[in-house]
Amino acid sequence: MQSLALVLVLLALAPFLWLLLMSFKTNAEIFRFPPRLLFDATLANYAALWTSEFRNSFVNSLVVSVASTVLSLLIGVPAAYALSRWTTRGGGAITLWILASRMAPPIAFTIPYFLVYRHLELLDTWTGLIVIYLTFNLSLVIWMMRPFYDQLPRSLEEAAWIDGATMWQGFYRIILPLSGPGLAATAILCFLFAWNDFFFALILTRTEAMTAPVAVVNFMNYEGWEWGRIAAGGTMIMLPVLVFSFVVRRYLVHGLTGGALKG
Amino acid sequence: MIPERSASFARQQHRFFAFCVAPSLAALALITLLPALYLLATSFTQLSLTRPETQWDFSQPLESYRQLLSDSRLHNSVWVQVKLSFWTVLLQLLIGLLLALLLNMRTRLIEALRTVFLIPMVLPPIVVAIIWKVIYTPDISPMHGIFRALGWNVPALITDPDWALTSIIIADTWEWFPFTMLMVLAALQMMPQELLDAAKVDGASPWQLTRHITLPFIRGVLLVAGLFRLIDSIKAFPLIFILTDGGPGSLTEVTNYYSYLQAFNFSYLGFSSAITVALLAATIVLSWVIVRAVGWGTKID
Repeated sequence: MQSLALVLVLLALAPFLWLLLMSFKTNAEIFRFPPRLLFDATLANYAALWTSEFRNSFVNSLVVSVASTVLSLLIGVPAAYALSRWTTRGGGAITLWILASRMAPPIAFTIPYFLVYRHLELLDTWTGLIVIYLTFNLSLVIWMMRPFYDQLPRSLEEAAWIDGATMWQGFYRIILPLSGPGLAATAILCFLFAWNDFFFALILTRTEAMTAPVAVVNFMNYEGWEWGRIAAGGTMIMLPVLVFSFVVRRYLVHGLTGGALKG
Repeated sequence: MIPERSASFARQQHRFFAFCVAPSLAALALITLLPALYLLATSFTQLSLTRPETQWDFSQPLESYRQLLSDSRLHNSVWVQVKLSFWTVLLQLLIGLLLALLLNMRTRLIEALRTVFLIPMVLPPIVVAIIWKVIYTPDISPMHGIFRALGWNVPALITDPDWALTSIIIADTWEWFPFTMLMVLAALQMMPQELLDAAKVDGASPWQLTRHITLPFIRGVLLVAGLFRLIDSIKAFPLIFILTDGGPGSLTEVTNYYSYLQAFNFSYLGFSSAITVALLAATIVLSWVIVRAVGWGTKID
């Protein structure tokens, strides 16, 4: 049974491993079949990337993803806390709104944003991307963090209030530190969703603010089929994702389904 | 709590919570509700970027929607969408379920493998598309290399009319089977052990256990996972963009992709908005089904 599982894993991951290996191959090696198991690994593809425009787009991706993460946490975390403690009537409607805005096809936002950004001169800017990434990250923060606060007993902040703390202090000093792991997981997921975006960046950026996923695709279209560099670019984009996903693997399902499933 | 101050305290608490929620609601209204209304407004115009005077021209508000009914390319895209959604959701549920049943063991190796299985799902979609572009490009594809070694003459799948959609379905299934697997695994781990033990004592075979106890227990999770995948399949974009560009012809052109072409290749934003409004409506209905299925509206923890 275990060996069957092992074989299946290798089979399932073969396409992924192939790309990884390709990024270390010379062009001649890429076209060789059957492939040699031991080939002379080269870092030339990565070096070529680092001296090209790709470096700028990598930085763009980094800046935009981090900024959108920080902003969504700042706005969303207090709301998640309040919605957990406050029994409002509109709860169901808010949940549906958040879920629907998260599930909406990206093009539904892209068309109006594109039209408005043309007038606000936000096309091809960091700000433009950061704002549109809020459309999915703000909802993500609220529905990721709310269950964390549901788990923390109210007696915690009530004890602080009795000791004379203000509401804000109760939240900021007591509750916030206790939800640290949840915050970390949520932050990572926000970063990943922004980092993984392709569609918004494809439409809303041109050159200046182009993100790494769009830049890699441009290798395909404009510079001939530089397979080695495409593979190296793809590998660089997926590297932070793999590391971070491993860290938050326990929260992945929750992040993707908004707690449709407990456990 | 503190009885003598409770009235003013409750008010104070109310104000604090409102203060916490307000920025998020304001931001959501500004960045999601307003654009949705803008989209709706645009769908009532014939906006085309090549003719700026069409921007706020509401003289024929339903013209775009009339076109929806008569555009055969759009109807084709809906049919392609139905085929893509049906097969990807079905295959992902099946493969995810089988793997989850296989991996539902508590050994160190299996737990490690479970994590590794998640890789396709967490990869950036564009990287998944690149991976499959490599697999489907005969010159450099290990798959085509093997076919050649076996003496089979296999055409390039993504440009072959008989295989193009299938090749997208395979790639999409690969990307998302871990999602259903993960959800089923989570459900399996909440299954009450006594139930299984009791059935075993009664002499049930492994197949009977699966058929009569496990499957009924995880039916709800399969439904929810399927719904999530169904909604997501409507958004399929990077795979189609990179692998087939909707082709050959329009054999892999799903509705979302057609809407993208109308808006950003042909500049017919008005018509594209109308298509997108229809897509959005479908998404909202499906989300509502999920909310009902999960019972969120009534959830009180």
